[in-house]
Amino acid sequence: MRSIKLERMKKVINGGLIINDIELYIPAGKFFALLGPSGCGKTTLLRLIAGLETADAGKIYLGNEDITDVSIHERPVNIVFQNYALFPHLDVFDNVAYSLKLKKLPKIVIEQKVFKILEAFHLENHIYKPTSQLSGGQQQRVALARAIVNEPDVLLLDEPLAALDFKLRERMLIELIDLQDKLKTTFVYVTHDQFEALTVADQMAIMNHKGEIEQTGTPKEIYEFPHSSFVAKFVGTTNILSGTLHKLDTPDPEIKIPDLGSFKLYIPQKKSWMYEGCDILISIRPEKIDISKTEFQNFSNTLKGTVQSIVYHGRSTQYNVLLKNHTRLQVFEQNEEHFPQEVIDYDNEVNLYWQKENVVILEK
Amino acid sequence: MRFPRPPPSERAFSIGIPAMIWQVLFFYIPLLFIIVSSVVKVSETGAIKGFTFTMVAHFFTPTYLKVIFSSILLALSNVVICFCIAYPLAYFMAFTGKRFKNTLLFLLLIPFWTNFLLHVYAWFYVLENQGFLNNMLIHLGLIKQPLVLLNSIFSIMIMMVYYYLPFMVLPIYSSLERFNANLIEASLDLGATWFQTFRRIILPLTMRGVRAGFFLVYIPSFGEFAIPELMGGDKQMFVGNVVSQYILAEGTGSLGAAFTVVSCAILLATAIFFYWLMDRYVYVKVR
Repeated sequence: MRSIKLERMKKVINGGLIINDIELYIPAGKFFALLGPSGCGKTTLLRLIAGLETADAGKIYLGNEDITDVSIHERPVNIVFQNYALFPHLDVFDNVAYSLKLKKLPKIVIEQKVFKILEAFHLENHIYKPTSQLSGGQQQRVALARAIVNEPDVLLLDEPLAALDFKLRERMLIELIDLQDKLKTTFVYVTHDQFEALTVADQMAIMNHKGEIEQTGTPKEIYEFPHSSFVAKFVGTTNILSGTLHKLDTPDPEIKIPDLGSFKLYIPQKKSWMYEGCDILISIRPEKIDISKTEFQNFSNTLKGTVQSIVYHGRSTQYNVLLKNHTRLQVFEQNEEHFPQEVIDYDNEVNLYWQKENVVILEK
Repeated sequence: MRFPRPPPSERAFSIGIPAMIWQVLFFYIPLLFIIVSSVVKVSETGAIKGFTFTMVAHFFTPTYLKVIFSSILLALSNVVICFCIAYPLAYFMAFTGKRFKNTLLFLLLIPFWTNFLLHVYAWFYVLENQGFLNNMLIHLGLIKQPLVLLNSIFSIMIMMVYYYLPFMVLPIYSSLERFNANLIEASLDLGATWFQTFRRIILPLTMRGVRAGFFLVYIPSFGEFAIPELMGGDKQMFVGNVVSQYILAEGTGSLGAAFTVVSCAILLATAIFFYWLMDRYVYVKVR
């Protein structure tokens, strides 16, 4: 269990800047998720940590040790590949025992370790099977067992669940969390799936298309307080509105949105880039907006609109509401009752409400 | 009346029929003739007078066994040298040179566009006393007197490797081309050095190609007679030369057939032995 620190990492592949001057701290013993859209360079970042790629600039520290120039096979870091990369000519036992045999451990120790880990992964009935006879979930567990039997300081996981179906993926996520809890190894989990990242992570980082880290924090910080419109849109769904900032130094600051009016904001701490009349973007999560045909008083912000479409999701219903400036707002309502008192239908005039504390002001 | 279409498996069989007829007519039946004529006694008039093993036994003497042994040695050295050159080349083509792989394959096959004999004559010019290689070495000041390169085991070996190399490269290349590069990375990541990765992962998983290359090179080089004849200047005797001498000479056809059968039997035995050896020592079961 050791931390990872990246200092001004840079990587160019075929003339394209993949990793752009990244600074990142991955705390020891934590489940860390690296989230980003496809092709943003997150896998490259993982491969840099593993030693499968060499950086064009920058340093990598494992704990206090500079491992930038340590070769792959000497790094106490193991990776689980997206396609598992199990050795097809070896059976389950030999796959898992691979790293132990390279270390020339006594046979009896190898057997003990391998049997113990295979039992923990519910693979005790498949020990001498060729890996091609296993199901996707079992292969996944063999790949995991093979990587952690070596007791690495850091375990890297490159979209490990991408090939599994939804139910199995949910179960494996829980298993991974339990495993990390037990081992206390630093896990670095790369994914493009925000649901997976939010589920597993103690700490997470979001990467953008330019190969930069947009924001780091706990899943809750990332979801509730995104810094940029990229993060707000990439993690979950949101409504982004643009306008100008007014009454900045009063207790009731406002955003003025063209053709819609002014809405109250909550600014706990004034940022250096804010000034009276500057352009700002705000993000309101769809579930933080209430929708109703009747009028209420005790909300800080109210807006009228017309229901344009309704999408039923099961646990919630999504309303797309057309505003009078021809933009659309998404609203989620929990489906709490079988027979709701108020039925909202297409083309209904509705009132939208939200509290000023639930609005996030974005930096860009 | 219409017949129903045969199921696909039977259709595939009927497609193969012309090739099978060809193979039976021009290969298996002549092979049978050779085997039969090596153990059959024939009178002056051509009538069959019973079986005999004297012709076969005639070749179990040190002189002929030495010829067979040197053929095995020649074929084996050819295989080993070809493998040592071909594997890195195929590896480069499959992984590093991926972008140029079509060009590289094309370059590899270009020699087949010109006749074999032309290659031999070209090598004469390179290797003769006043040839390209000697002139260059003298020019560079590495030697004072020209080396005798032609008509030696050296010139035979050069020509053998030159001619058989593509037969080793192509099957190895095709097994490496489908190789999942993640396996190499996984092995390195799990603590294996590059050599350990080659020995435990890459080589076992490309054995199919290596084995195909082995047989494509080993078996024809065992019976090779043109290259020793032309490049060896009659000094070196191999199985192919002995067989061709017997077959082409007057009245010794069945002796030639007998020698063919003997050497083929030994070739088969060694091939099976090497196959077993590869199977035994390449797949390292460490348990």
